[in-house]
Formats: sequence, C-alpha cells, structure tokens
Amino acid sequence: MPHVPLAGYLALASALFVIGAIGFLVRRNPLTMLMSIELMWNAGNLAFAAFARSFEDMSGQIFVFIVITVAAAEAAIALAIVVMVFRHRADVDVDEISIMRG
Amino acid sequence: MGHHIVPPIPLILFFPLIGAVTIALFGPFVDRRASAFVGTASVFLSFVITVWLAIVVWQLPIDQQAAFAHSRFLGYWVDIPPYLVISFRLLVDPLSIVWMLVVTGVGFLIHLYSVGYMAPDKNYRTFFAYMNLFVVAMLLLVMADNFLWLLVGWAGVGLASYLLIGFYYDRRTAVLAARKALIMNVIGDVGILIAIFLMYAHFGSVAYQTVFASLGRVPAGSLDWIGVWLFVGAVAKSAQLPLQTWLPDAMEGPTPVSALIHAATMVTAGVYLVARAHPIYDRAPVAAEIVAVVGGLTALFAATIGTVQYDIKRVLAYSTMSQIGYMMLAVGIGAYAAGAFHFVTHAFFKALLFMAAGIVIHNLSGEQDIRKMGGLAKRMPFAYWTFLAGTLAIAGIFPFAGFFSKDAILDQALQLHHPWLQAAGTIAAFLTAFYMFRLLYLTFFTGSYRGDHEPHHDSSWTMTWPVAILAVLALIGGWLVLPGRDLMSSALAASFVDARFGQFLGEFNWPLSISTLLLAIAGIVLAYALYQVPSGARDWLRTRFSPVRDLLMNAYYFDVIYHYAFEAPTYALADFFSRYFEGEVVGGIPRAFAGLATWFAGVSGGWEAGYLRRYGLSIVVGVALVLVLYLFLTHAPATLGRP
Repeated sequence: MPHVPLAGYLALASALFVIGAIGFLVRRNPLTMLMSIELMWNAGNLAFAAFARSFEDMSGQIFVFIVITVAAAEAAIALAIVVMVFRHRADVDVDEISIMRG
Repeated sequence: MGHHIVPPIPLILFFPLIGAVTIALFGPFVDRRASAFVGTASVFLSFVITVWLAIVVWQLPIDQQAAFAHSRFLGYWVDIPPYLVISFRLLVDPLSIVWMLVVTGVGFLIHLYSVGYMAPDKNYRTFFAYMNLFVVAMLLLVMADNFLWLLVGWAGVGLASYLLIGFYYDRRTAVLAARKALIMNVIGDVGILIAIFLMYAHFGSVAYQTVFASLGRVPAGSLDWIGVWLFVGAVAKSAQLPLQTWLPDAMEGPTPVSALIHAATMVTAGVYLVARAHPIYDRAPVAAEIVAVVGGLTALFAATIGTVQYDIKRVLAYSTMSQIGYMMLAVGIGAYAAGAFHFVTHAFFKALLFMAAGIVIHNLSGEQDIRKMGGLAKRMPFAYWTFLAGTLAIAGIFPFAGFFSKDAILDQALQLHHPWLQAAGTIAAFLTAFYMFRLLYLTFFTGSYRGDHEPHHDSSWTMTWPVAILAVLALIGGWLVLPGRDLMSSALAASFVDARFGQFLGEFNWPLSISTLLLAIAGIVLAYALYQVPSGARDWLRTRFSPVRDLLMNAYYFDVIYHYAFEAPTYALADFFSRYFEGEVVGGIPRAFAGLATWFAGVSGGWEAGYLRRYGLSIVVGVALVLVLYLFLTHAPATLGRP
C-alpha cells in the first residue's frame, strides 16, 4: 500500500469540510443540511485521526470518539426537532421556519 | 506640665461628635427626650473638661502657657515629605481656650434652653444632632493648629449653619435664607483657600507655627495679600460689609440657633481668625487697616439699619453685625485682647437677648413683629427683666458688661491713633443704645399686645435657668477688666506676647468712658421720647425723612443691588445656556452618537431575519475571518520583514 502523506489526508478533510459547508448553506431541506453537518464533523474527525497517526499521539483518536458521540447526540436532537416541525407544519423548508428571528 | 494632671483634650471634641453620631443613628428608636439629654450632656461634658484645661493652663507661667500649645498630636492628614505635611494636632493656648470656653459654656446653656424651646417641634432629634455637629465643627475651628484644619472647621460650621437656618424646611423663606447663607459663606471659604495657597507657595507649609516663624522671609506686600484673602473669609463668616446680607435672613432659623450660631459663636469666627493670624496682620499694615475700617464701617452701618427694623430678631441680627464690627475694628488696629474681651461679653448679652426674645416669641406662638407687641412687661416679667439686663449690657451702661468691653475698644482706638474709627464706634454706641431701647419699649411697654395669638406661659425651667445665668453674666462679665486689675489681657498674654502693641486694658480713660456713657444715655432718652411718650414727633420724622427711612428699611438696598448685579445676570446666563447650549450642544452630541448607534442597529438587525442558513453563513464567514487574521498575525511580520 503506497504511503499517503499527511497533507493528502488534510486535503481530503478540507475538501469534505467545504462540501459539507456549502451543502449546509445551499440546501433548504433540513435532512440534507443535517447530512452536510455530519460531513463536516467527519472531516474534522479525519484531520484528528491523521494528525494522531502522524504525531504518534493517541489523544487525537480519543477526540474522534468524543466527536462521534457528540455528533450522535446532536443528530438525535436535530432529527427530533425536524420531526416535530414536520408534524406541526407539514413542511420542512428551513426558510419558512423563521419565527425565532430576533 | 510638671505635677499637673493633663486633661484628656481630645475628649472635648469627641463628646459632641459622639453625641451627634449617636443621636443621628439611634435617635429615631428611643424616646425624644433621650436625644435632647445626649445632645445637652455631651456639650456639658466638653465644657467641664474645657474648664479643667483652662485651670491647668492658666496656673502655668506665661512662657509655658504658649508651650502648652501644639501638644496633642493625633495623626497625619497628608504626609508627603518634603512637599507637604499636614498633621492633625489640637492646639491649646489661651486664645483658643477663651473661644472653647464660650463655645461649650454658652453652647451648653443654649442646648439646655432648646430642650424646652424646641419641645413642640416634630424634628426635635434632628435639631440636637445638628447642634452637636455645630459644636464639633466650631471646636475644630478654634482647636486647629494649621490653616487647612481651620478651614475644615470653618466649612463645617457653615454646613451646620446652613442646615439649621433651613431647619423649618417646609417654609420657602427659610430654604432660600439657608441657600443665601451657604453661598455667601462659600465665597469666604474660597478666600481662605486662596490665602492657604499663597501661604503654601511662600512658606511651603500651612501650620500656624511654621508660617508664623518664617514670616520675615517674604515682603510685606505678599503678607498683605495673604491677610486680605484671609479677611475675605472673615468678612463672609462674620457678616461684615459687603457680604453681610445673609445674616438678617438667617433669622429664619429657630431662635436658639440664632443665639448660638448667629450671635454668640460662629459669626465671631472671623474675629478669631484675625486674632489667630495676628503675626501676619502685625506685619501687613494694609490688610490690618482694611480689617479695622471694614469693622468700623460695619459697626456704624448695621447700627443705622437697626433703628428702623420691625422684626425683633432682625433688629438683634443687625446689632450682632454691628457688635462684630466693633470686634473687627479692635483686632484690625491690633487691640486683640480688647476684641476677644468684647467677644466674650457679647456672647453673654447677645445670647441672652436672643433667648429672652425667644421666650417672648415662644409664648406668642411665633409672633416676631414688634408692631403687634407692646405692654408685655406685665405679662412676661421674667422675659422683660432678663431682656432689660441684656439691653443695658449692649447699650454700654455701667456696670454692665458692654460698658467695659466697648469702652476698651474705643479707648484702644484712641490710644493707637485711629480717631475716625473711634468716632464711628462712638456714634454706633449712641445708635446702639437708641435702637435697643426702641426695641425694648415697643416690645414691652408702648401700647398693648395686638397679635393673633393669645399669650400663654409654658416656660419650663430648662428655658428660664439658662436665661437667668446669662443675665447674671451680662451684668458681671465685664468685671474681668477693672481699673488696675485686668484678667482678660493677662489671661491672653501668652497668645499675644509677640503682638505689635502691648495688650493691656486695665487703664481706663475716664473722660472717654463717661462721654460714651452719656451718649448712650442720650440714645436711651431719645428712644424714650420717641417711643414711650405719646407725641407727633415719630410721625413727623417718618414723613419728613421718608427717603432715609426707606433706605434704612431696605438695608441700603444691598439685596436689590446684589440681585441686579449678580443674581439676575446669573439667571439670565443660566437661562440662555439651558435654552440653547444645553439642548443643541450638551444634548446634541450624545444624541448624534445615539442616532448613529440606532441606525447601525437597524441596518445590522435586518440581517437577523431568522433564516437558519444566514446564521450558518455568518458562522462560516466569521470563522474564515478569524483564521485569516490568525494567519496574518502569525506569519505576516516575517513575510513583510523580508526585502
């Protein structure tokens, strides 16, 4: 297996993060936006894991586990909100859900 | 000090201080009589220690009496050597002891009198707290050993005076009078402050000892300026020309306040100041001459006004002004012991006059207009006899106190070659006898009482005893100075050992004394002829000299002049600024900034419309900006540093 340098992992992580960010900004379906957020989480995770491997330090990998846990919790809450909104309004376009404006 | 037991000097100050604080803090929770008791007892205890101190000091040889001064060091106020060191010491020398004795002694009698006089008042406790505060401030004034602490006491008595003049704060006139007194007095405070600055500039110190020891280093012209600025303070506090207009208005305060503050003690602080700063005035002939001339003019000026006034307390206020004019005259020409002597006797008979008048006012439920009085001698014999004692004393009738002290001043004026001042004082003595007996006749004899309230009698012993004691003192107080036996000058000798003239009052100038006495009797006869014998002379005089009468009734229109010269322009200026400057400039600038902020809030607030994706974009842009900034700050300097 050819050796992949750290920069390669970081480039992939950056690409994933940017795809996630753009997806979050351009899509109006909350489910798609949640998937984009998930993509950004995992871009971060990939960078953590790559650094951990590169520096031979386990803390990066431990961070990845924590992030996965937090991401799962976030996804659960966010999906619950989406379901509630859907029940309430029969419509899940985020631009329509602006009643919380300051 | 040898074998003598040194009295606890700080307690003289602390008793009334504790009294004022205790009444202020706990007065509302206990019986009102407890406040009166604490207030009176604290001054009495101060008086006892002062008497003890006086006995100890005056038993010492003269050179040690002065050495007893500067002896109670309590701490530093400012300690920045070598630039400025101001310590807090209690000064005790014969001059301050004389003032302390009067402040605590007469002060105690007036506190006792107030127990009865103020009894109907709803703010009984507050009154005693203020009165004790006054006593503390006045004692601080006379026990200070440097000019800055003197100024603290000086401002403190001004504050107490303000609070007590405005004691009946639901009366508009009282509040206005209090404000007027405060403003006039602050002019004086500024004068003293300027004098202190000058002293610090010349001597690098404000302590009496240091300043007086280094007077020879500066030219007489500078000392004249220091003397004049100090005298500005004295003029304001002692109601001398031209800052005298607050004193008649100050009679809005309760009568015991008029007796204690505006007759016996506070208004003589200016006399004390000149006597205390006598090394300066001894070397500043111009300033000393100004003091004497202002004093002589005020003595005459106030006496003329007193001849036509109809408010019993205002007549007494003008007579106070006139008598302090005598004291100023005395200390101005260098007759310090004579000035202090007149201060002592004046404190006795003027406090007596106010308190006897207070009994009349009290029993007439607040009536002060002598046109409505008359025939009260039969109804209030005690008030009459005591008032008569005070009137004889102030008129200078032998053997009452005023005869000795006033003649001492006039005699010294002649000896020290001030014939004009002596003439002014003599004419004022004639006028004094006239207006005081006019007051006596109109109040107690002429006609009958025609006021709105039926006289009643509820003078308790607390009101009559102090008046009786002062009546005795008004009789015998002058006997401190008898031919060949001069207790006053010898008591004060240690304080004035370096004065420019010897202080000795025991040589009587009998021709002068007898001619002054005859003039006083002529004044009494004139008052009798005009106000007691029914005749048309009064009406004839009134119509014939009506412009003069108007001039005197309005106190030479000083209030009117000040109104148009200072008050009206100030109000006009304030009105202009409130109308234009306040709204457009003071208000406009902050309003412009507020408008900018509101505009920016409106613009930026529009962004927050509740759209989730906008918030997301904000976060992304924000993070990106932070990253760029971070990279720039950490890497740019190195990059820019390269050629």
